[in-house]
Amino acid sequence: MPAQDAPVPQDPADALAAVAALRRLADQIEDAAVEQAMRAGWGWPEVAEALGVTRQAVHKKHAKRLIAAGVTLRRRQ
Amino acid sequence: MSTIDHYINDIVLRGAAEAREEGSAATEAHHLLLAIAAVEGTAAHRVLTAAGFGRQAIRDALDREFEHSLNAVGVSLAAYDLPKPFRDPTDHPKPGASARLALERGFAAAKGKKDLRPAHLLLGVLSADVGTVPRALALAGLDRAGLMDRVEETLARESW
Repeated sequence: MPAQDAPVPQDPADALAAVAALRRLADQIEDAAVEQAMRAGWGWPEVAEALGVTRQAVHKKHAKRLIAAGVTLRRRQ
Repeated sequence: MSTIDHYINDIVLRGAAEAREEGSAATEAHHLLLAIAAVEGTAAHRVLTAAGFGRQAIRDALDREFEHSLNAVGVSLAAYDLPKPFRDPTDHPKPGASARLALERGFAAAKGKKDLRPAHLLLGVLSADVGTVPRALALAGLDRAGLMDRVEETLARESW
């Protein structure tokens, strides 16, 4: 949706709820996207750089879940 | 552990499972509400069910609130069709700010530990004036104040 069409919530409650919902959606997209990338053979450094976070951060957040999912992970570099 | 301790532990664990399924890093108040609605045999469960607000109805209301909040800034949930990520069954998201507040309010609603019952926890969750739970209830057309009155009525006459 083009920015000029995006509504601006007038009620602070709506605006704050939108922030919470966007964070939740971003988390859900991140989980799916990181899993997708690692299944496709990406390494932690590439995923971290693409997300704009440190390797340690992305590893800490996703490694346990992906190992449990049976994803073959490349060694941390 | 007392019966209420077991109940609280069960609600926190079930809430964590709801949070995990949702992909949430923390257990929030709305996850506790889902858990309270899922445990039968309590006045809290009976009040929610009588109001037509069983676990599935709550889940539906929460999903609507999520979509509604995203729509407010022009984001359509339907536009995202990513594969469902794997959820680690051993992961137990810890209580977040809203869940801790709901538990504190629930404890404060009781006259001491011996008086504490499941309905007090429900009161704690329902007493938030802002956040996901009151928004979801309002969108579902549910009268939160009326629901809280009914919970308080049951506390006066029901032991569990």
